[in-house]
Amino acid sequence: MTFFARIVRGGGGAVLRNNNFRVNNTFVTSVRHYAAETSASNNLKLSFALPHQTIYKSIEVQQVNISASSGDMGILANHVPSIEQLKPGIIEITENPNSTKKYFVSGGFAVMNNNSSLDINAVEAFPLNDFSIENIRTNLAEAQRIVASNMSEEEKNIARVEIDVYEALQSAIGKSS
Amino acid sequence: MTFAWKAAGLSYLKYTQICARAVRNSLKDDLRLAAQRRDEQGLKFAKWEAGKQGEFKPVDETQRSR
Repeated sequence: MTFFARIVRGGGGAVLRNNNFRVNNTFVTSVRHYAAETSASNNLKLSFALPHQTIYKSIEVQQVNISASSGDMGILANHVPSIEQLKPGIIEITENPNSTKKYFVSGGFAVMNNNSSLDINAVEAFPLNDFSIENIRTNLAEAQRIVASNMSEEEKNIARVEIDVYEALQSAIGKSS
Repeated sequence: MTFAWKAAGLSYLKYTQICARAVRNSLKDDLRLAAQRRDEQGLKFAKWEAGKQGEFKPVDETQRSR
């Protein structure tokens, strides 16, 4: 054991500092995959697709900001691989320092791979200026009316989900104008 | 982490469907009409018995498993 794993003695006790362990006379090497090992380019390769449309297909971009269920996050090249669930919110794509595009997505998933490619799948996505502030306001008022009415709890739950979407839309459009 | 939609008894598919519909309904009118066509999805089924196809029946929204 000591031959393969160096034991460093510190104040707190022994710490293993090697990834090689000898188990039943065979080597077990734990390999840590990081994006940096496989990526040649320093740009993020973005694929952004909807069921009915492809918006980006392996296009190199600088940074993508997403609103994930676990919080807003910015993704650069060489990000650790992860899968994030998207909530209704903005996807901000910095193609280069002079060009940034914003889309509002209804929800979906972002998959960060370990070769610096990012796949975003959403059900609906539109640029912010495709939305009508009046329509959002009307829909929000209607959903709020349903929640306050004596309709079934099922209808109210649907309206509550809708309210979240309309409020996210309002704040998205408010920020951009 | 418990999601509000899950606590409300909605499935993830149902939840994304509601969100997508809300987004479509918020578009400018010309874009909205084109997008809303994507909202209409249905499922029909027919039961086959003794080599014969039965009558087509639409799957009722309220009978779908959640």
